Amino acid sequence: MSRKLLALTMLLALLVGLMPGTSLAQEPVTLKYATFTGSGDRAEELDQIIQAFQAENPHITIEVISAPFDDYFTMLQADFVAGEPPDVLELNYENFVAYAASGVLLDVSEYLDPETPYYPGALNAFKYQGAQMALPETFSTVVLYYNKDLFDQAGVAYPTADWTWDDALAAAEQIRALDDDIWGIYAPIQFWEFYKRAAQNGCSFFNEDMTESTINAPECVEALDVMMRFIETDVMPDPAESAGIPDTEMFQNGSVGMVVLGIWMFPAYADLPFEWDIELEPGIAQKAYHFFSNGVAIARDTEHPEEAALWAQFLTASETAATVRVENDWELPAINKPEYFEAFLSATPPANREVVFASLEAPVPPPVIERQSEMQDIFEDLLAAVVNGELDSQTALDMAKAEIDALLQ
Amino acid sequence: MPGESGLKKRLWVLFFLAPSLTGLIVFILGPVLYSLVLTLYDWNLLSPPRFIGLNNFVEVAHDTRFLGAFKHTLTYLVLYVPSVLVLSFGMALLLNQPLRGRTFFRMAFFIPVVSSWVAVSVIWRWIFNPRFGLLNYLLGLVGIEGPGWLFDPDWVLYAIVIASVWKDAGFVAVLFLAGLQGIPGIYYEAAKIDGANSRQRLRHITIPLITPTTFFALITSLISSFQMFDQAWLMPERFARSGATVVMEQIVNNAFRYQRMGYAASMSWVLFAVIFVITIVQLRLQRRWVHYDL
Amino acid sequence: MKTQLANLDRHTPSRAIALPRLTLASVGLFLLRAVQYGLLILLALVMLTPFMWMLSTSLKTQEYILQSKPQLIPNPISFDSYTELFDIMPVGRMLLNSAVVAVVGTAGQVLMAAMAAYAFARMQWRGRQAVFLLYLATMMIPSQVTIIPLFILVRKLGWMNTYQALIVPSLFSAFATFLLRQSFMTIPRDLEEAAFIDGGNHFTVFRRIVLPLSGPVLATLSVFGFMALWNSYLWPLFVAREQEIMTLPVGLAALQGSNQSLTEWNLVMAGAVITVLPILVVYLLAQRWFVQGVVLSGIKA
Repeated sequence: MSRKLLALTMLLALLVGLMPGTSLAQEPVTLKYATFTGSGDRAEELDQIIQAFQAENPHITIEVISAPFDDYFTMLQADFVAGEPPDVLELNYENFVAYAASGVLLDVSEYLDPETPYYPGALNAFKYQGAQMALPETFSTVVLYYNKDLFDQAGVAYPTADWTWDDALAAAEQIRALDDDIWGIYAPIQFWEFYKRAAQNGCSFFNEDMTESTINAPECVEALDVMMRFIETDVMPDPAESAGIPDTEMFQNGSVGMVVLGIWMFPAYADLPFEWDIELEPGIAQKAYHFFSNGVAIARDTEHPEEAALWAQFLTASETAATVRVENDWELPAINKPEYFEAFLSATPPANREVVFASLEAPVPPPVIERQSEMQDIFEDLLAAVVNGELDSQTALDMAKAEIDALLQ
Repeated sequence: MPGESGLKKRLWVLFFLAPSLTGLIVFILGPVLYSLVLTLYDWNLLSPPRFIGLNNFVEVAHDTRFLGAFKHTLTYLVLYVPSVLVLSFGMALLLNQPLRGRTFFRMAFFIPVVSSWVAVSVIWRWIFNPRFGLLNYLLGLVGIEGPGWLFDPDWVLYAIVIASVWKDAGFVAVLFLAGLQGIPGIYYEAAKIDGANSRQRLRHITIPLITPTTFFALITSLISSFQMFDQAWLMPERFARSGATVVMEQIVNNAFRYQRMGYAASMSWVLFAVIFVITIVQLRLQRRWVHYDL
Repeated sequence: MKTQLANLDRHTPSRAIALPRLTLASVGLFLLRAVQYGLLILLALVMLTPFMWMLSTSLKTQEYILQSKPQLIPNPISFDSYTELFDIMPVGRMLLNSAVVAVVGTAGQVLMAAMAAYAFARMQWRGRQAVFLLYLATMMIPSQVTIIPLFILVRKLGWMNTYQALIVPSLFSAFATFLLRQSFMTIPRDLEEAAFIDGGNHFTVFRRIVLPLSGPVLATLSVFGFMALWNSYLWPLFVAREQEIMTLPVGLAALQGSNQSLTEWNLVMAGAVITVLPILVVYLLAQRWFVQGVVLSGIKA
């Protein structure tokens, strides 16, 4: 009897030791984590999350490699080329598609705890051909900021969630009339804004199976015209008139009534000398809002997939991570747990913070193809030509279509 | 040494040349050959390279962006090289005079060279600002309405030339100054005794004897003009970029942003071929105008 | 007798009041100097104004910078950006790293280039022209072409995050070799022949004659080499990412805000000033040692 008990105990001990997550058979593991958001002044906050994780998982050490955004992807590529990629890596949405397509990422589905309350839309964004190739780390969006004092001075009603861009134009004209140095609105004319404006008018960049670009359809041309109208009616400064002062500064100086900016500017505007608030941005035929997201992926060839998955999930979904982010205005985790966001929602200014989550109801992620940067640059050049008056909207978009079709080969 | 034997001489040559040559082979030639091979492939760094033969070169020849960038590079070169050579030679002549405070002036001229483009471009963007900038303000004082400079695709290249001449003149001036100081004083003494005035001394002694330095400055300025990148990348405002994109920018974009390493490599080799040809031409021509001694 | 003495007195200027002779030549010289000074001052202003602006911005407080009408003299003058900079990042360590790399790298680079240049300029051997052409050719290759293969090589050698990775690849400089070759070629042959007759070998000639006579060029190259290594950004970004080995430009680049925040220009400029100052010191030192050394040895006159 005692021999059987001994054998059973040994078997049990063996089983316990082989189970993942117990501290019996744990060799120390070091994970390399590459990040671009965790550099510079955010490094401390990232460290808080790391310390908490390491406390819970003493056998894992996280080694951070970081670089500012502009150089991050060069550094990452160099690491992959040299055959020594990081175990866990941060990717923004646009690059995620390229990396997933190249087959260098690990399918994390088997490591994913199905209870984790990621926003379904966010989780789907990081699927590639049905496989979960990364986890959504944060999301952010763009909203309409408005200067309440200027609105009061011009006697215009504050923006509402049902506004169209025509309503915005009317308000902008009133505010512009206040002074020569005060502008009505600033809605940048660039790729990021354009694809959103296009979605607001029911225009799509590509056809169903992504073989052809449909960017020169009438709805798209109209969307571009809506953007250009602000410059044409002089409620928005053209490049020479803005003379190098970025829109972020213009709002800060109180020299513009409305701006379309990311929610990441809240901390910078915490102490402005005037009243301001935010609202969902206007639409055209329908509403569509930016959905920006960063994800965390695992390298396919990592030697420690389980540990990497533990870290990835902790970084993206743990209460610690969420709290650190919210407390420091460091983007928002893509988790559907309202209690994490209480601190965020109750802070002011701006008061109308629910708008940030309301935007998730009509999100438009960026249109992504393999040759993403080239497509962006093509748009930048053509939009510049339109702004400079060298091309009209239709011609520019016809040219865009031709060039993008070539990229899709 | 006169009359030394072949083997002994070879050993001496090896002694002097070996360190530098080894570095050349390992750290330059190796990577260069690698990149040459790369021109025959299509490679996005993440997937294995794919052999496509000379397709990259065919594509370059038809690439309107590349050709446009090439035109910009050439325009830049034609404006920048003569300006910087003439200005810096003048500066060197001035600095070579027995004037008080020479050290201070030399340092002043060298400070732009030493600063990084990252910081300098910010300052120049302020100077070139059409509304609040120093340059248009000064032009306004004389009654000229200044152009859009970095905001205007037609003027942005000129702005870059001005900023580049400003930044590099001190560098080339130091080269010229070293050359001027290397001219033996006896020549000048002898000329003075013969009754030559300062302009004649300049024409018949200084200018001929400075030609080795001039040649060097010319070649390096040409090469660096073809490879000019930082200022064209940092200075133009967003909507004026089309007026100032240069060849290096296309190479960098293709290599690091579009992830087309093979294509970028082939562009670099086309650029290299152009620079090579021009340099050979210069080397041939130098026999006509470069004097190593009187 | 008296008349002769009286005549003498008339022609000799009185020592009590020594007036300079106002000849045409001296007026001409005065005007020339005035023009030369004027030009120098004008040029110096043009060269220095941007730097003054950099310095002045670094001494401003954050709120003061965001004004559309720029002002040259900050009011109040504040060293906050410098102290904040030292708080945010290990500036001391980065300064040290940059210094080690730049000093060792420059010394090595100049020495190797001088030796190679001697072989090209003062020795006759088969294939000399071809090898020199090879050197020139490497100058025409943009660094972006070689950076990725070089990175792979350095990784294979196990040199990641080491001083070797930062120093060794830049020891070879075609530019320096070229410049020194030009300079060595202007040295008169007779000096060399004299040394050989006295029983010296190539190394003696190199050390005793060629190098000392090339003071200005060596100084110039030292400064340029130092500058290039000190300001180098892209390569250190690839190979020196850990805090202990990071150099100044890489560390400071993190200050240039992302699009997620407003760039703090006073910090950026403080970083720029800190980066520029050591190079100026090196420049002054090189000036003193090399150039004055030539004057003292009196060879050139």
